[in-house]
Amino acid sequence: MADVEIRGLTKVFPGGVRALDALDLHINDGEFFALLGPSGCGKTTLLRTIAGLEGATSGQILIGGRDVTGLPPGARDVGMVFQDYALYPHMTVADNITYPLKIRKVAKDERRRTAESVGGSLQIQALFDRRPGQLSGGQQQRVALARVIAYRPRVFLFDEPLSNLDARLRLEARTFLKQLQTELGITTIYVTHDQSEALAMADRMAVMEKGQIRQLDTPTACFRQSANLFVAGFIGSTPMNLLPARIVDGELDVAGCRLPIPEDVRAHVSRDEHLILGVRPEYMSLSRTEVPGALNGTVRILENLGVDTLVTVDVGDLRVQATAPDESVPTPGDHVWLTADPRHVLLYREDDGERVGAPRAAAGTSPGTPDVVNTPAR
Amino acid sequence: MRGTGPASTVRGEPSESELVVRRFLGRVAFYVFIVIVGAFFALPMVWLVLAPFDAHPTLNAALPDFTLGNFGDVLKDPYALSSLGVSILLAVGTMLLVVVLAAPAAYALSRVRLPGRDLLLYLLLLFSSIVTGTAAMVPLFLLIFDLGLTDTHLGVVLVLAGGLVPAGIFILKDFVDSIPTSYEESARLFGASSFQILRDIVLPYARPGLAVIAVWVMVNVWGNFLIPFILLRTPSSQPAAVVIYNFYTEGGQADLRLISTFGLLYSIPVVVMYLFVNRRYGFRFYGGLKG
Repeated sequence: MADVEIRGLTKVFPGGVRALDALDLHINDGEFFALLGPSGCGKTTLLRTIAGLEGATSGQILIGGRDVTGLPPGARDVGMVFQDYALYPHMTVADNITYPLKIRKVAKDERRRTAESVGGSLQIQALFDRRPGQLSGGQQQRVALARVIAYRPRVFLFDEPLSNLDARLRLEARTFLKQLQTELGITTIYVTHDQSEALAMADRMAVMEKGQIRQLDTPTACFRQSANLFVAGFIGSTPMNLLPARIVDGELDVAGCRLPIPEDVRAHVSRDEHLILGVRPEYMSLSRTEVPGALNGTVRILENLGVDTLVTVDVGDLRVQATAPDESVPTPGDHVWLTADPRHVLLYREDDGERVGAPRAAAGTSPGTPDVVNTPAR
Repeated sequence: MRGTGPASTVRGEPSESELVVRRFLGRVAFYVFIVIVGAFFALPMVWLVLAPFDAHPTLNAALPDFTLGNFGDVLKDPYALSSLGVSILLAVGTMLLVVVLAAPAAYALSRVRLPGRDLLLYLLLLFSSIVTGTAAMVPLFLLIFDLGLTDTHLGVVLVLAGGLVPAGIFILKDFVDSIPTSYEESARLFGASSFQILRDIVLPYARPGLAVIAVWVMVNVWGNFLIPFILLRTPSSQPAAVVIYNFYTEGGQADLRLISTFGLLYSIPVVVMYLFVNRRYGFRFYGGLKG
C-alpha cells in the first residue's frame, strides 16, 4: 500500500499544449480518489503521467515515498484499468488474468491458483476458457479488474472504467467497484468526467480545469460548498442557480428581492459590491402561498426526475430552478414563491468566480484566512 | 399485386399466372447469362486440368484421350522438377525476408510519430514498383553484377524482396494501426519488455496480416519471370516460371502437351498454399485491403 505525492507536476505536449500546470497533490494511502473534469482538462494525462505512460515535463511523482518520476511504467508498481479494458483478444480469460504474473515469472501452478482465487471472488470462474470477444461489457470489466488485482499493485489507476457500460449496469458496477476498493484497501485514483460517479465513490476528489485543480475536497464539500463558479457549474445533476446579486443596505439584492447576507461571508463583502449568488435547486423550497422576502415568479417548465420534479420558474428576466417533491408539484402558469435555504447559499465574486470567504486554493492560503476586501467601488 | 386478384386483369395488368411465368423466364435468362460468364472464366481452368491428361491436346477443352504419358515426358526434361524446387526456394526465401523486414518496420512506423512518415511510405511504395519493373533492369543487373551475385538465388531474392518490402510495410502498417495502443500500454504497466510485447501481443494479433503478406509475396515471386530470367544464367538454377519456356519448340511453337502438363504442376503449389492459409486464417482482408 502506498500514498501518492505529486509535486509541481507539469506536462507540456509537443506543440505547446499545457496539459498539466504545476500540479501539487497528495493522495493518502488506501484512499479512493477521483479526478473529475470535462474532457481536455488534463485528468487522463495526469493519470497516464502517474502510470509512466507519459513523461513529465517537470515536477516529481512519489509513490509510497519513492521517487518514480524517471522510472518506466513496469517499475512503478501501479495497475491500470483502461477505458476499453485492453483485454488481449487472442488469449483466454484465464491467460489474460495470469499474463502479468507470467511477466513476473511466477510459476504456472501459482498463477493458476491466483487466477482461481481472484476469479472466484469476482465470480468469473465460469468464463475462464472464453475469449474476451465472447464476453459482455460487464464481464469484460470484471476480467480487467481481476487481471489488475492479480498483479497486486500498490496503486490502482482507473481510466473511466464504467463509461463503456450501459446506464443500468454502470450503477451496479459502481457499487461493486466501491465495495471492492473498500475490501482491498488499495490506494485508487479514478478518472471520470461523470460527476455523479465521483460523488458516489470517492473519499476525496479533485475537480480539474485546464490542467489545474479547481477544488480538492470531499465529494460533500465539493457539492455543498463549491469553491468557484466552475466547480459549481460542473457538479450536481441539476445545474446550480447562478443569479446576479448586489449588496444593498447590508442585504443581498437579487432580482428585486432582499435576502439576508450569510453570516460567514458578511466580513468579506463591501457595500454595493456585485456578486453572483449560487444555490442548488435541491436547496430551494417552493411555495404557492406568499412568503415575505422570497423570489417570486411564474412556473414555466416541469421536468420529472423520478422522486422529485425540477421546476423552472421565470423570476423577472431570470430563470430559477427548484426541485419539488411529488406531492407539491405546481402546474405551469402557477405563481410561486422560492426561498433559498440560507445554509446553502453560496456567493461568488464576479471577477474571478471564486467563492466569497473561501480559502483560495490556487494561492495556497490556509483555511480561515480572511480575504482582504479591496474591491474598488463601482 | 398478388392480393388484388382477378380485378387486376380487368384493368389490363398481367394476371398472377402470367407473372409467375415471367418471373420464371427472367430467372432462366439470368442463370443462362451467369453460366456464360462463368464458362468464359472457367474454360481455361478446365483446359488446364484436362489437357495434361490428353495424348493430343488442342486449344479446345475436350474430353481427353486419357494418358499419363505427358507427365513422364515433362519429367524427362532435366530441369522440370528442379525448377519447381527453385521456385519454392525463391518464394519462401523472399517471403521470409519480406516478413522479417516489413513487420518490425510497420510496427515502428505505426507507433512512432515521424514527421513526413506518410510521404515516406508513399514514396517507397511508388519507387518499389520501379525496382521490380522493366525500367530499372539495367542498373539492377549492374548492381547485382558488382555485388558478385549474378547467377545466385540470393541476388534474385534480394531484388524481389526489395520490390515487395515497401508494399508489405504499407499493408502491415494498416494491420498494426488497428491494434489499440492500450494493449501494449497495459502490458508495459505489467512490466513487459518491448520484445515480450511484440511476441505476446502484437504478433499474435497481426498474424492474419502476416499471413496475407506471406501469401501475397509468394504468389508474386512464383509468377515472376523477368528477374530470375535476367539474373540467373545456369539452366539448372532457373525457377519454373522461366523453365516453362523450355517447352516451346525451337521454331517458337508451343508444345501443348508439355506446356499444359507443366502448367498444371506449376499451379498446384499455389493452389495448395491458398487452401492451407485460407483454412488456417480464413483470409480476413481488413484495414486498407478490403476486398
